[in-house]
Amino acid sequence: MRVAQARRFVVSDHPLPWLLPLVAILLVFTVYPLIYNIWLSFHEFVPRRRALEFVGTENWVQLWNDTRFWQSLVITFTYFAIALVFELVLGMAIALLLDSDGFGFGFLRGVLTMTLVIPPAIVGMMYLLMEDPQFGVISYLLQSIGLLNPNNPILATASTALAGVLVAEIWQWTPFMVLIFLAGLRALPPEPYEAAMIDGASSFQIFRRITLPMMSKVIAIAVLVRGIDLFRVFDYVFVMTSGGPGASTYSLSLYAWQQTFSFVKWGYGATLSLVTLVIILVIANLFIRIAKVRW
Amino acid sequence: MNGSFSTRMLRTIAAWVVVAVFFFPIYYWTSVAFKHGNDIFNRPPKLFAFTPTFDNFQKVFGISLGSGGITVTPGGGNFYMAPRVWDSIVIATLSTVLAVAIATLAAYALSRMNFRGRHSFVGWVLSTRMMPPVAVAVPMFFIYKNFGLIDTYTGMVLIHALMNLPLAVLLMKSFFDDIPSEIDESAIVDGASRFMIFRRIVLPMAKGGIAATAVLCFIFSWTEFLFALTLTTTSVKTVPVVSSTFVTSIGTAWGNMAALGAASIIPAFIVILLVQKHLVRGLTMGSLKQ
Repeated sequence: MRVAQARRFVVSDHPLPWLLPLVAILLVFTVYPLIYNIWLSFHEFVPRRRALEFVGTENWVQLWNDTRFWQSLVITFTYFAIALVFELVLGMAIALLLDSDGFGFGFLRGVLTMTLVIPPAIVGMMYLLMEDPQFGVISYLLQSIGLLNPNNPILATASTALAGVLVAEIWQWTPFMVLIFLAGLRALPPEPYEAAMIDGASSFQIFRRITLPMMSKVIAIAVLVRGIDLFRVFDYVFVMTSGGPGASTYSLSLYAWQQTFSFVKWGYGATLSLVTLVIILVIANLFIRIAKVRW
Repeated sequence: MNGSFSTRMLRTIAAWVVVAVFFFPIYYWTSVAFKHGNDIFNRPPKLFAFTPTFDNFQKVFGISLGSGGITVTPGGGNFYMAPRVWDSIVIATLSTVLAVAIATLAAYALSRMNFRGRHSFVGWVLSTRMMPPVAVAVPMFFIYKNFGLIDTYTGMVLIHALMNLPLAVLLMKSFFDDIPSEIDESAIVDGASRFMIFRRIVLPMAKGGIAATAVLCFIFSWTEFLFALTLTTTSVKTVPVVSSTFVTSIGTAWGNMAALGAASIIPAFIVILLVQKHLVRGLTMGSLKQ
């Protein structure tokens, strides 16, 4: 009886005072900027009058006809897809490799963790050095095995610039997948494996039929968390290529940022950043529904 | 799953090789940080055989290592970074305190109290994590300008706290969910108030979780780039933002850059020491338990 009373008291407790600071800061820092952004997307800064002017749907029409925008959308999706596939496959392979009790494996996991906490902007600068055509260690390696023409600097050649950026991205974030997958693998029950061993299943069959299905929730969360970050890539491209050469590494975030801060197209920049937000929210929410991710 | 001795041996060797490949860039940058200029520009790149120097660190941090031990000489040099390191520390620390305080309160309510719309509220918090920073940074720039928050500690602390709130809320909620709610209920029977239970019972039990959340918030603020780039100009700048100042018209100061890079690995060691147990949970905002 007393427990039931207590439970009723717990339920009736009012959450508002507890949530108020969070709600306040989220309202001020996300809802207000969002509304401001929408308002801004119907305006444009007019330099000669030094003021914002109402331009109606002009920015949205411009967006539709802007080949640079569509190009950056394709580049962002390409970056997103390539990085995600590499990080997932490499991450799973390394996690399977590390999921045993070999010599010093705890230490190895620690080393992998290190890549995750170096500022991506600094990682970008470091890869800029490693991919330098004259004295970069990666360039030197690729040139000496004949994979890279010394006259084509990786980051200044349109066909290889995106790959040059992706190397930094994949290097930094594959360990993230490894750690998540290792946590997932560690939590798997041993019984299905024992049964499969008795039935004489091959290790590939075991992976396909047992490990992958049981890991689906973990994989879904990894895709979601990493995918959101990949789609808003900014740090690496800003530091390593600034979108160039030409427009071969322009990501949506970088394009929106440059329109606002380099070209003083405040309204158009706001429109671009809104579109980026909408695309991420739509895709992420669809994914959450389809993959049944629970938080 | 263990196989024979030779397969285990092969597996161990393969694991060491793979991790060595991932560690190589970190070794390489650190080696550049200790190189003289002409060793950096050597071709083929010098990996091991070079005379180490502490010059780069001295230029960047004003710290020199001589026969008399470590001496600190502030100021000087084009790339003197100590004030920026200080800015980064102040911003990361204060924003972490703010985010963790707000998140802990909210997460307790979300974990213990049943109210209508709780699920959609969690969904809303999560959706703020999905916002591309650029979608916030652009309007924030104008809002900050109007309120004089550009280039201030306050402005950076607020925006970094905001950025970390969804992570902190969802993570703290998952830690609170692990503490059985029967403990709260029996304390209520004994006549304790909600806040007393929170402060005296739940908070001490969630100490490890709070520490993990705090360290992760600190790291995300320490590594954040876009807000810091957009909302600061001259007097307040964080370490990632100044990394591109090493690129000058007469070439890039790679040695100095690498010294900053090598120093930025230090937080990595701290993380590994402090929160490795909770790291995965933190990176996935509590949705995965390890």
